[in-house]
Amino acid sequence: MDGGGRGVTALPLQLSDSAQRPASPGVLAAAWRSSFRPGLRALLSAALLFVASASLFFLVLGRAPLPLFLALWDGSFGSGFALSETLVKASPVLLCALATALPAALGLISVGAEGQLGMGAIAGSAFVLLAGEGLGLATLPLMLLAGASGGAAYAALAGFLRARLRVNETISTLLLNYLPPLLIEYLVYGPWKDPASVGWPATISFPDAARPSTYFDTRLHAGLLIGLVLVAIFHVVATRTRFGLCLRLLRDSPLLAERAGLSFRNWVLWILLLGGAAAGIAGILEVSVIEGRLQSGVGTGAGYAGFLVAFLARGRPLRLLPLALLVSGLSAAGDNLQMSADLPSSVVYVLQGLLFAAALIAERRRSVPAFAAEVGGWTALGRPCSAGSCPRRSAARRLCSGRCSVRR
Amino acid sequence: MPAAFRSATPLLWALLGETLTQRAGIVNLGTEGQMLVGAATAFAVTAHTSNPWLGLAAGAASGMLLSLGHALLCLRFRANQFASGIAIWMIGFGVSSLLGATLVGQSITGFAPLAESWLGARLPFIGWLTPTVWLGPVATLAAGLFLFRTRPGLCWRAVGESGAAASAAGLRVALIRTLAVSTGGVLSGVGGAALSIDYAQTWAEGMSKGRGLVAVGLVIVARYNPWLALPSALLFGGTEALVLRVQSAGSDASAHLLHMLPYLVSLAVLVLSCIGTGARAAAPAELRAVLQR
Repeated sequence: MDGGGRGVTALPLQLSDSAQRPASPGVLAAAWRSSFRPGLRALLSAALLFVASASLFFLVLGRAPLPLFLALWDGSFGSGFALSETLVKASPVLLCALATALPAALGLISVGAEGQLGMGAIAGSAFVLLAGEGLGLATLPLMLLAGASGGAAYAALAGFLRARLRVNETISTLLLNYLPPLLIEYLVYGPWKDPASVGWPATISFPDAARPSTYFDTRLHAGLLIGLVLVAIFHVVATRTRFGLCLRLLRDSPLLAERAGLSFRNWVLWILLLGGAAAGIAGILEVSVIEGRLQSGVGTGAGYAGFLVAFLARGRPLRLLPLALLVSGLSAAGDNLQMSADLPSSVVYVLQGLLFAAALIAERRRSVPAFAAEVGGWTALGRPCSAGSCPRRSAARRLCSGRCSVRR
Repeated sequence: MPAAFRSATPLLWALLGETLTQRAGIVNLGTEGQMLVGAATAFAVTAHTSNPWLGLAAGAASGMLLSLGHALLCLRFRANQFASGIAIWMIGFGVSSLLGATLVGQSITGFAPLAESWLGARLPFIGWLTPTVWLGPVATLAAGLFLFRTRPGLCWRAVGESGAAASAAGLRVALIRTLAVSTGGVLSGVGGAALSIDYAQTWAEGMSKGRGLVAVGLVIVARYNPWLALPSALLFGGTEALVLRVQSAGSDASAHLLHMLPYLVSLAVLVLSCIGTGARAAAPAELRAVLQR
């Protein structure tokens, strides 16, 4: 809903804005505001803030920022190998971003991609290990299906809790994230342990039929393509179809949606389930392509990176693609930083967090979800709109554009 | 029972902090990151100075510093509270791993149990208590009294119920919320410190293992009430202690499966308390807008 028509009324709004607030922050800020469109402005200020805060962070670590930024570039996009590693990492991140972006289209904040990825890995491996013998060409699609249903079932659990029992989905998915890694450890130390391996806990290597091929002499695999296709479908469905309209209605005006006969409960369940399927596919692909067997620590961090990507994309499916590249570039560069600059790879988490914070600051005014405004609590979170410009009253609505936090 | 108390203590501190924060209408998922940073800082300082009290103070300070980031993001810049909390969590996780990289495998001398002091040696049954453990219930008492029996506590609750009304009544909403968030930061930093310098006496990357997030869930179980924080934390701590007991008794059950239990129990009680209307009614009104549609 923060889409079309934003630019049309921009000029008069800017004027009324400055007229109402004579004590504007200064000439520079005014020039900054008037020279870029709001979206571009947010992007530029997010980038500036990120670079500034990351430089500060590097300085605190006692390093010169510039060489480290160059090392980041080298490790993410600087060479053919780095680029291929970035793309390899981008595939689970993109799929996990879908697992967050789909529920977000309903106004839900699901952080469960990490756990759904793990469950997908378990379910797909279960299929390969228990039933994967002698299926030939059918092995791969069935394995992906098994992985997808593992992730979907796990997400549906959170969806059920949300829809029927009103358990907040953010908290439940966060707690659920801690279970799959433990379950994987149980499996690889216990019933599924490769009897031939003495020390390293892992399952037996997957048979060749269950190893999707890689391309261009790199570790690139079909996961990225699946992610691309899913994003394209999501984009078309969200912007061009009745289905997308339903999603927007449910997100922005649950009461009206209820009147129109849409069941929020059912939609929550199905949307979370679909998202979980995407994360599940990411999980089984990580196992079958990258590792070749199930072992602990599969796909760690991809779920949270995906959450970051989905949140930065702000409900625009196509933005998931460049952002997934950016974020997975950061994590690919983290491995490089370890070798070339002797910094631990946990630097990446700090950088991701700083990127997140920078984006949140840059997006400040449009970041409060519509439903929070509907409940009426948002004014207390910051400065209230000036008198007569209540965001919920359509006639006066245009007066407070750019200043109030209601998403349009 | 002592084991349950000991393993519940880090969670209890974080839970208290989160309860106070949420009472003022702010959810802070960064609690996990604050605990980790608190744990790492406290361990580092204790290892360098060999004074656990200094470590505790450093942990509290670093937890507060990180929580101010959350306050800045969601109060000054009106960011989504969940998103901001997760950003803080990421930063906290990364910073604590960086800090802790040199600490892995080091050992420290933590707090001495009460039995070694003059008082503890003369009282039965409580000799095993260490300062963070016995301070936990004291802090619970203090938080409850503050929230329900003092005027500032009333102001915090008013801000949580309706920021607009509180603002109209002349309260400085943003200031009170910042205070509430940073109090939560201090307490979760203490929780992290209790974990690294008292309970585990080691440092490991990501050692809080979701306790901060469990705390966010258990606030709902505790009905946003500091008095109930103690039994809620004991539920998690008790399960964890039970798991360790079962393991050391040489049971056949897999350690990994058993370690899932504390999370499952927390999730189960969360679900149970969400079924009734009690928790929803107890939630500060401002928070209901964030948590439930």
